[in-house]
Amino acid sequence: MAAVEEYDPMVDDEEEEITQEDAWAVISSFFEEKGLVRQQLDSFDEFIQNTLQEIVDESAHIEVRSESQHKPGPGQHSDFQETIYKISFGQIYLSKPTFTEQHGDVRPLLPKDARLRNLTYSASLYVDVKETIIKKGNNCEEVSEPEPLGKVNIGSVPIMLRSSYCTLYQMSEEDLTDRGECPYDQGGYFIINGSEKVLIAQEKMSTNHVYVFKKRQPNKYAYVAEVRSMAESQNRPPSSMFVRMLSRASAKGGSSAQYIRATLPYIRTEIPIVIVFRALGFVADKDILEHICYDFSDTQMMELLRPSLEEAFVIQNQQVALDYIGKRGSTVGVTKEKRIKYAKEILQREMLPHVGMGEYCETKKAYYFGYIIHRLLLCALGRRPEDDRDHYGNKRLDLAGPLLGGLFRMLFRKLQRDVRARVQKCVDNGQAVNLYNIIIAKTITSGLKYSLATGNWGQANAAGTRAGVSQVLNRLTYASTLSHLRRLNSPIGREGKLAKPRQLHNSQWGMMCPAETPEGQACGLVKNLALMVYVTVGSAANPILEFLEEWSTENFEEISPAVIAQATKIFVNGCWVGIHRSPDLLVKTLRQLRRQVDVNTEVGVVRDIRLRELRLYTDYGRCSRPLFIVENQRLLIKKKDIRALQQRESPDEGGWHELVANGYIEYVDTEEEETTMISMTINDLVTARLNPEEAYSENYTHCEIHPSLILGVCASIIPFPDHNQSPRNTYQSAMGKQAMGIYVTNYQLRMDTLAYVLYYPQKPLVTTRAMEHLHFRQLPAGINAIVAISCYSGYNQEDSVIMNQSSIDRGFFRSLFFRSYRDEEKRMGTLIKEEFGRPNRDNTMGMRHGSYDKLDDDGLAPPGTRCSGEDVIIGKTSPIAQDESSQGQPSRYTRRDHSTSLRHSESGMVDQVLLTTNADGLRFVKVRIRSVRIPQIGDKFSSRHGQKGTVGMTYTQEDMPWTVEGITPDIIVNPHAIPSRMTIGQLIECIMGKVAAHVGKEGDATPFTDVTVDNISRALHKCGYQMRGFETMYNGHTGRRLTAMIFLGPTYYQRLKHMVDDKIHSRARGPVQILTRQPAEGRSRDGGLRFGEMERDCMIAHGAAHFLKERLFDQSDAYSVHVCERCGLIAIANLKKNSFECRGCKNKTDIVQVRIPYACKLLFQELMAMAIAPRMLTKDIKTTKVQKKKVV
Amino acid sequence: MESTTSYQRFPKIKIREMKDDYLKFELHSTDTSVANALRRIMLAEVPTIAIDLVEIEANSSVLNDEFIAHRLGLIPLTSTRAMEMRFSRDCDACDGDGQCEYCSVEFHLSVRCDQDQTLDVTSADLISSDPSVMAVDVAARSTSSGYDASDNKGIIIVKLRRGQELRLRAIARKGIGKDHAKWSPAATVTFMYEPDIHINEDLMETLTLEDKKNWVESSPTKVFDIDPNTQHVVVVDAEAYTYDDEVIKKAEAMGKPGLVEIYAKEDSFIFTVESTGAVKASQLVLNAIEILKQKLDAVRLSEDTVEADDQFGELNAHMRGG
Repeated sequence: MAAVEEYDPMVDDEEEEITQEDAWAVISSFFEEKGLVRQQLDSFDEFIQNTLQEIVDESAHIEVRSESQHKPGPGQHSDFQETIYKISFGQIYLSKPTFTEQHGDVRPLLPKDARLRNLTYSASLYVDVKETIIKKGNNCEEVSEPEPLGKVNIGSVPIMLRSSYCTLYQMSEEDLTDRGECPYDQGGYFIINGSEKVLIAQEKMSTNHVYVFKKRQPNKYAYVAEVRSMAESQNRPPSSMFVRMLSRASAKGGSSAQYIRATLPYIRTEIPIVIVFRALGFVADKDILEHICYDFSDTQMMELLRPSLEEAFVIQNQQVALDYIGKRGSTVGVTKEKRIKYAKEILQREMLPHVGMGEYCETKKAYYFGYIIHRLLLCALGRRPEDDRDHYGNKRLDLAGPLLGGLFRMLFRKLQRDVRARVQKCVDNGQAVNLYNIIIAKTITSGLKYSLATGNWGQANAAGTRAGVSQVLNRLTYASTLSHLRRLNSPIGREGKLAKPRQLHNSQWGMMCPAETPEGQACGLVKNLALMVYVTVGSAANPILEFLEEWSTENFEEISPAVIAQATKIFVNGCWVGIHRSPDLLVKTLRQLRRQVDVNTEVGVVRDIRLRELRLYTDYGRCSRPLFIVENQRLLIKKKDIRALQQRESPDEGGWHELVANGYIEYVDTEEEETTMISMTINDLVTARLNPEEAYSENYTHCEIHPSLILGVCASIIPFPDHNQSPRNTYQSAMGKQAMGIYVTNYQLRMDTLAYVLYYPQKPLVTTRAMEHLHFRQLPAGINAIVAISCYSGYNQEDSVIMNQSSIDRGFFRSLFFRSYRDEEKRMGTLIKEEFGRPNRDNTMGMRHGSYDKLDDDGLAPPGTRCSGEDVIIGKTSPIAQDESSQGQPSRYTRRDHSTSLRHSESGMVDQVLLTTNADGLRFVKVRIRSVRIPQIGDKFSSRHGQKGTVGMTYTQEDMPWTVEGITPDIIVNPHAIPSRMTIGQLIECIMGKVAAHVGKEGDATPFTDVTVDNISRALHKCGYQMRGFETMYNGHTGRRLTAMIFLGPTYYQRLKHMVDDKIHSRARGPVQILTRQPAEGRSRDGGLRFGEMERDCMIAHGAAHFLKERLFDQSDAYSVHVCERCGLIAIANLKKNSFECRGCKNKTDIVQVRIPYACKLLFQELMAMAIAPRMLTKDIKTTKVQKKKVV
Repeated sequence: MESTTSYQRFPKIKIREMKDDYLKFELHSTDTSVANALRRIMLAEVPTIAIDLVEIEANSSVLNDEFIAHRLGLIPLTSTRAMEMRFSRDCDACDGDGQCEYCSVEFHLSVRCDQDQTLDVTSADLISSDPSVMAVDVAARSTSSGYDASDNKGIIIVKLRRGQELRLRAIARKGIGKDHAKWSPAATVTFMYEPDIHINEDLMETLTLEDKKNWVESSPTKVFDIDPNTQHVVVVDAEAYTYDDEVIKKAEAMGKPGLVEIYAKEDSFIFTVESTGAVKASQLVLNAIEILKQKLDAVRLSEDTVEADDQFGELNAHMRGG
């Protein structure tokens, strides 16, 4: 059958079906066009191109009236009583990224310069400002012409690299390298003060959506419906509305009926729903019921509403209802009229603002309110399950665009406020208004910079800021950079016990990587996007509304509530706009138009047949992913399209967007996905056609492009992840980010504070298809090591490995380590300035004990200098004022040392020195130190399967086991690492690597393909090896054959950044803290090792009291004080003069020396400062001692 | 101690195949320990010459100084002189600074790229002060013996772009592979026990041709074959057998255990030696034997060893068997 299907000559070439292999051509075209950080770039472009202008447009004009000032004296009388100043903002303009030098030159700025000179990569924002002056006189009015003031700079906006406003936008590879950029760098981040910042996408619940939850009993409420309503383009926090149904046995004794009540914003108590309806102007019971329960024959639902109707029986008209609500508002002691007005206001502006905030929205609001109750009742009647908070369709992602949009809106409002205040001042004082001086660009410039630099989203020192939104881009490995740009954070309390939000939800399939999440506190809260996700940027709802209008959607004014039950309700972005009687056709045309790109491709069309709802979404932040469209169990994309794709000459013609425009592929968001039937593979469709009875579905609507695309960046590097235990993939996803490799190609031109570069990185022998798009072959992070799984001497126990010293000698896993130190000539006041230079011991105060010999005359260590320990590499001094220190005789010191020395545990060569000026025009230097790191015992390595280990022993080649071919392993791992961890993927990788090495091709380890171990084994057998990868080996020490055969083959290993040389630490004596005089903490401060509680307990248990005292006292902060025996307080002691005195007791004789911890002395003094006298009484003890002696 | 029977054996070597950089020989009538000692010495203790000190005068290439120094060290140099040379630490006359002919050889390298294509700096650019010590690939090119030197471009040290320059002075010294793998003269040294294969012909004849074929195929290496005329299973290459037990397992799986018996001859070894080119493979073996002899001389029964034994005191008695 299959043969007939596939090779039927009658099938027209036009109709030839595609294979799974062809899907990769489609995938390649996707990545070619989009790259890997599209969500960031799209989101930012949307912000620059649309949001920015919208924010400026939506702002009201500034209107300032002169307020009559009290001017004493008979001042001249103006002709006009009142002047009105109007300022309005118009069109905005954005320059290319520029930088203003200290001396005023404005130059275009390149990212490279911004990084090196610690500048901000930003573009100036200009806006057209118009001012109108209206002068009103006693009986005349003069209106000046609206005067266009031209473009006024209102601040500068940091520009995302590679976005459409970046200088690097669509530059060729050569141009990029000429500008010192890495062509593989994908952009998607900002440069703020020289450091690269990523905006982490923030997850939130979607607004304007009705959620119904069942309350866990016992609880006052049985069911709760909630809507977090937020009108579009509004900066206010969403206004929540709750409608709750009381549980049957809630109130003790009292009312036991299931009343339904609503919580309105700013109203203290819950309001019975019927009262809300009456307040909205729907008084009759029938009217109210019609809006809730569309079908009067539904007795069950009607019955549930009965108690609520009865509850509101006493309030039978709108005024009373409004008063009822108003009484429960924040206004107290005002007239009834005011209360009613207040209540009206709340209903109009605060309740469900997304439905409408203007007048005459009551009908719409009543319908929506009724719908909320309807949903609540459906759930209460068990006709519909409660909503799932964790469903990804209910989540929205705030990316860089919306985040910056919110921030910019806030700052722009602040700017307007400031402008208004200044104009007011000028007008009041009768001064001329000069807008160039009044619009201060700094508000927006520094506001945006502050949030991007610190990650505190919002204004400085203001409440409600979110921390950690902007992070420093991780540049350890290329994969870690990519992964960081695709990261996602859920701002839910980390300490929350609730496991639900952390769990992998079914709806995250294809959207979030199932493997890549951190371990521990943030597990499941920090996520990473899957490879092919598209996050919507949002489009206008108007075209959709117009379309609906055209296609005979009936809105509320036209219909009677009675027909709702039969028709389908239509929602646009959660707002109920009307009903439609033939939804089938409507949905079909809508989808058709979307596939033709007549309607924006990112619009979500969700038809819920059971609920009779059609939900359309145009909002931003929905996760969607592309799928092949299937009709009649056949893909719409055909072989000819793939051929056209493969044969096109330049990437510009055709490509991904054309596949979308031709309607072969469409984007399906998480909520719409629920209404589709997706086949996992193309073969599933083939079998479904051939064997319709056994097919899973007879009406597939879509087909996955490839199931391996559910993984994210880091998990896509794992070979055979489908053969590993799932946590191992998670571990590898975390470890892949610590692997050394080549993180960018321009690393020599960069001055990163820390950088690791591998000497001889190799592309893996065993690859996945996705790696191609992650550029893992071009920028690899590991080496194909020959790995044996064996005990061999046992120096590889407990996750350590034995490494071949000869391989290390030959350059195996050698790496470079760079650290940059920076300093600037700070200005202290206007006159005093620090200066780089070689400090002179004769006139410089506070010089360090490290060597200053490495410094050149300019105060900097020249490239090629070998430095170690605490050698000074940047010499800097500041002048000190002469007069302050000594009287009369001039001090020999004229300068103070502020030099920078190398970290005391590190050494290396000066690699590069950069001397330039920073944004403030100050001299500024960066010095990069380079050192070679050769693998040694204690360094950490890992395979790509979460199998990490440190080197436990190195053996030279002759000591290593060998095979008849003379092969010695580079790494020997212990077999105990395998069974409990079940990383079968590593074993398969190993044998596939062996085959690949022999055949001279790359092995394909993409998950969810039909490669089997048997296939690989057969291939290995053909190569002349034992089919399962075992080899006979000989002991290197003795020459005897090993009894067991050893599993041996090439496995891709990573060197992780954790190395012993960075961790080794010991101390005998050393620095102490100033306050407590206890040993300092931490390796970087040469601190002590803590003798903690558990160690203390242990010593107590041993009874080793003296040892304990030595650890905790003598070796820590032993101190001796002198105590007056009379009062027990600390006395004055001068050991040099041998004089002791307690001034309070006028005692100079009865003074004893007491040894106490310094911390104890500190405590006593602090207590004394609080007027508590801690007395050390020594007499009693003395007497007892004396007595004892007497007894003896 | 004064036992009359002598266990002394006279190991024999039979050379199978000899090329400049490759040697295959049999070693008979000796023990694993001797064979392994020979292997270990070839890998780690036969001295060669390799660059050990690099003084960089100018380096504007993309690779940093340490990187280039490391790469230079790994270039194999012709080391026929190595056995006679002194270790620089033992050389009294000098401090191993390249001036002394007994312990060091000086190299110079000076390359600058003035063209638009990238320029490869190779081992051929290394200029030696001693004509007998040079990079092996350069030596091979001049003698044009041994391996194919036709498209030999030399060992690449670094690639230079226009305007980049590399100037350095390097000093090569004698050393052994134990100290650093760059001094190892051997690429691989391996031996195997000679296998002794006995096919149970009677049992074999009970198999069908198909079964025989399957059985023969089960060995990953070509050890057995079927005689096209007699359709008997014959051993074609016993040494191809890697002691992988595949054929034995296959026989068991076919329900014919004992179809073949394979033993390893304990006193017969087949050695394969591959040289880096620093020393000829044959010379490598000779040097190794020489060094083994020197080492044995050091521990040979003598007054010293008896004295040394005395150090053990009481323990000695135990060691001699009470």
